[in-house]
Amino acid sequence: MELFWAQVVNGLIIGLLYALMASGLALIFSVLKLVNFAHGQFYMAGAFASYYLATLLGVPPLLSVLLAMLFVFVVGVVVHLLLLQPLYTGQVERKDEYAILMTFGLGILMQNLALALFGPWTKKPPDFAPGVTTLGPLTLDNDRLVVAGMATALMLGLLWVIGRTFVGRALQAVSQDRDAAAIVGINPHRMNRLAFGLGVGLAGGAGALIGPIFLVSPSMGILPGVKSFVIIVLGGMGSIPGAILGALLLGQIESLGSVYLLDPTRGLAYKNAFGVLLLALVLLVKPTGLFGQRHVRME
Amino acid sequence: MLRRLGVGVLALAAVALVAMSPVGLQGQGGPILLGGVGPLSEPGAAESGAEMRMAMELAVDELNAQGGVLGREVRLQFEDTRGLPEEGAAAMNRLADAGAVGVAGEFHSAVAKAEIEVANVRKLPFVIAEAWSDSLTAAQYPYVFRIAPAVSLFYTKVADWIRAAGFKNVVAIYELTDFGIDVDRVLKTELTSKPNLYGERIQYTSVGVERTVPDFTPQLLQFKAQNPDLVVNIVTGTGGYLIVKQAAEVGLATTRSTAMLAVSTSILQPEFWETAGEAGLFTITKRGFHPLLGATPAIQQFQRAFEERYGRTPTFAAMEAYDAIKVLAAAIEQAGSTDPDAIVAALEQIEYDGVLGTIYFSTQREPAYMYHQWPGIRAVLIQYTEVGQKPDDAHMIWPLYLKP
Repeated sequence: MELFWAQVVNGLIIGLLYALMASGLALIFSVLKLVNFAHGQFYMAGAFASYYLATLLGVPPLLSVLLAMLFVFVVGVVVHLLLLQPLYTGQVERKDEYAILMTFGLGILMQNLALALFGPWTKKPPDFAPGVTTLGPLTLDNDRLVVAGMATALMLGLLWVIGRTFVGRALQAVSQDRDAAAIVGINPHRMNRLAFGLGVGLAGGAGALIGPIFLVSPSMGILPGVKSFVIIVLGGMGSIPGAILGALLLGQIESLGSVYLLDPTRGLAYKNAFGVLLLALVLLVKPTGLFGQRHVRME
Repeated sequence: MLRRLGVGVLALAAVALVAMSPVGLQGQGGPILLGGVGPLSEPGAAESGAEMRMAMELAVDELNAQGGVLGREVRLQFEDTRGLPEEGAAAMNRLADAGAVGVAGEFHSAVAKAEIEVANVRKLPFVIAEAWSDSLTAAQYPYVFRIAPAVSLFYTKVADWIRAAGFKNVVAIYELTDFGIDVDRVLKTELTSKPNLYGERIQYTSVGVERTVPDFTPQLLQFKAQNPDLVVNIVTGTGGYLIVKQAAEVGLATTRSTAMLAVSTSILQPEFWETAGEAGLFTITKRGFHPLLGATPAIQQFQRAFEERYGRTPTFAAMEAYDAIKVLAAAIEQAGSTDPDAIVAALEQIEYDGVLGTIYFSTQREPAYMYHQWPGIRAVLIQYTEVGQKPDDAHMIWPLYLKP
């Protein structure tokens, strides 16, 4: 039983991190109606930014996470202005293909740029809170507890902004109908930039938070990027609550599945397949995902 | 006039093409091209590949400073194989097309497996530096040689230590690659077939994992429930660091009752301490030498030159890469030619005093992996006793060292 609860807690912490990253991707899809294939690389950018802020400038670790989010937000806004804005100004005819090629290419460029700039050596930012906490039979790494708390706070903050503020309502309006939003005075281009910046900023925050736990390297974003796609399809494309629920589910399935499903000596080898299996099962029953809309595409 | 100009341009182009062709490059008096292969980007172990390239560049510069090979300048063309077999095969073909007379390197066994096929077909002498799978030399290809030990050669000695140290409940986490699977196979066979020092039967449990998985906690928690006395970490690169770190976080190892043996070359790199920190204390790892066994002048000279040039201490992989280039160069010198068959004949006869010892290649065909294998490498196990300790200063625990 002790092993079971240890796996549940571990799955919850990992699920919260997945949720932080995937909610950014869901936000981008919700407003811009495009899948950001460079999402994992923005996650990596946040981790490197936080690492260098903490180690070179001596910024306290938690503050370095917030500054890294801000940095990635600004990069995201610039990337949107330069590369993605043409999608919404009538300059591009084949929008879906353009968006896929542009974000995919950007991801490859960012990863190779990181390799050239920072080298292949694995790096570790300073711990948020060194040591472990013992809760009954469970031993928990303090960093993971801090990260789980931060991820929860950031997600609650995101839900509050989206649901309770004028900006959040404006984002929702653009997400539902760009033209109608424009008629009531909301600038859809500005909302696009904001959504993209916020979305990649959340990915950057997740990368910065995960750095001390899973370490920092140029390729660190590949797997979380793929998992984010699985999560947002699972939760329903464009739904932030769906992405959060999907992420928590995936965290549990991976953690418990590695030990209790299949052959336990091979469980960890199948870990990455659990998400796809879960996705297939959910889509068979509910093709739009847990909270998805029926028809969502770029107009 | 225009026709003459056209003929002139064509003639110049023809001359340029001949000069740039492999034949032109390797012609009498032209530079000798040596190839290098290894991972410089992910998903390969890029940190080890980068170090191997540094060592090869150092070796080539030293060769040129000493007058080159056969009186000709030596050039190195290093290809990034990314830890992917298809990239390795393509790299070998590119090197053959560029006119390389021999190739050294590689870190990943799965990639080397693809590379030896090309080496064999293209008649390209290939000295494998740091890929360990038995199957590489067991293929018994005439153009393939290896400095890194075969897994069976090295890990039977590691199993000797595990038995001699009296461990009886061993758990292992291995990467699902040719290297990881081979190490697991050898340890399982060796440990379950013979008792430990106290005559007790050893229980061996192992789990295969993908190298790219960042969270090993579920499996480590399960191991913890089994109360093992030794955890063997057979995962290279970042995964190897993460297992050391996460095993400490869940209270599995290193503790008073459970040791951690991490076999990746990356555990010898300075990044180990940056990533693992205090979790790395008392980690046991392997290497091919230790100053207590006698530091040869060649090791000291290489370490000094490497540290001066790159500001970091070279690992086992760097030494093997350096030796692989030097031994290829020595074979070309000994053959007096860049003909591949002459180089192979020279490699079969060579006795070269390298950084890791006197390198020669066995021609015995039984066991199969011994063919063209350097059998002289030593299996040394060290244990870090201080945070940030250099491998040279770590405590040597195997073979047992008795002061005279």
